Amino acid sequence: MAKAIPKKGSRGRIGSRKSIRKIPKGVIHIQASFNNTIVTVTDVRGRVVSWSSAGTCGFKGTRRGTPFAAQTAAANAIRAVVDQGMQRAEVMIKGPGLGRDAALRAIRRSGILLTFVRDVTPMPHNGCRPPKKRRV
Amino acid sequence: MPHCIVTTTNHHCPPPITTASCYSPLLPSSSSSSSVSRFRESSIGFPTAKFHYSFRSSNSNSNRRRKVGVICMAKERRVKMVAKQIQRELSDMLLTDQVLQYAILPEAALGADRYLSSLTTISDVEVSSDLQVVKVYVSVFGDERGKEVALSGLKSKAKYVRGQLGKRMKLRLTPEIRFIEDESLERGSRVIAILDKIKSEKNTVENPLVESSDPVEDWDDEDDDDDIIYVK
Repeated sequence: MAKAIPKKGSRGRIGSRKSIRKIPKGVIHIQASFNNTIVTVTDVRGRVVSWSSAGTCGFKGTRRGTPFAAQTAAANAIRAVVDQGMQRAEVMIKGPGLGRDAALRAIRRSGILLTFVRDVTPMPHNGCRPPKKRRV
Repeated sequence: MPHCIVTTTNHHCPPPITTASCYSPLLPSSSSSSSVSRFRESSIGFPTAKFHYSFRSSNSNSNRRRKVGVICMAKERRVKMVAKQIQRELSDMLLTDQVLQYAILPEAALGADRYLSSLTTISDVEVSSDLQVVKVYVSVFGDERGKEVALSGLKSKAKYVRGQLGKRMKLRLTPEIRFIEDESLERGSRVIAILDKIKSEKNTVENPLVESSDPVEDWDDEDDDDDIIYVK
């Protein structure tokens, strides 16, 4: 099914409607890989409000994987949302990596109440073949 | 494959716990040890090392250099690569392995494993230069009890972890694993919280009207790293 082509005029304002929402409760997704950390803030349904990552915070290369980068990414992502009035949040953590701990601590420091912490790392029930073992 | 270097000066030799494995038959009297009898004395905390040395002492007349793995002093780059690989493997094990999950989170055994009470992360792995001892720094997010439970659970599974690591990684000798609690992340977080508080207090003192949505300007003097570009 092709997407509906927005007609001129009437549908053009959907993008600006999103930024005025006030959400008291949201979900923060933290994807912490070994080389980077991505923090995404969504509402309860899953629609993204704002996101930030260690790479967008100005870190490059190996420094993106450090815990300090993770906490700046989390602080950045939350700052945009605290102004919109989010007080409570649930946190979903995905992946191994140092960003898990550091970003969680940054979120707790920022004043948002953490209701739940969940781990949603994708776990295959023995599905796809994983990449080959690295030889050291 | 491990690169075995027998060094004349044992400057790579790490603290006394691993001197038992810095063995070089060519050197007459190095400070670590030169004879098998001294090995047996110094290898107290090393059940596996003892096994090797007792095995070796039984045929001490044969050429000792043929015995596996203990003489290796790996290159620095390789040590780093092994450390990184061990970190990856251990993190993966913490996420996927059932036995470890039950050890660090007792409520996972009851089925309540999707809503966590504590989060365990491996923050750093240090490998000794002869690849025999691995210190794993573990950071736990949660309350006091959660920390104790997680750390004691990991320590009790150290041998199991060693066996699993040996299956996953191809190393000549699987190193001994020690879990150490890492408080550096928590300390850093506390420091930053205090600095935040000071900053907000300073802002309320200076401009009591506008305080809530201040853009953060200069964190350079408060950062842990010096050369991080902070982009608003």
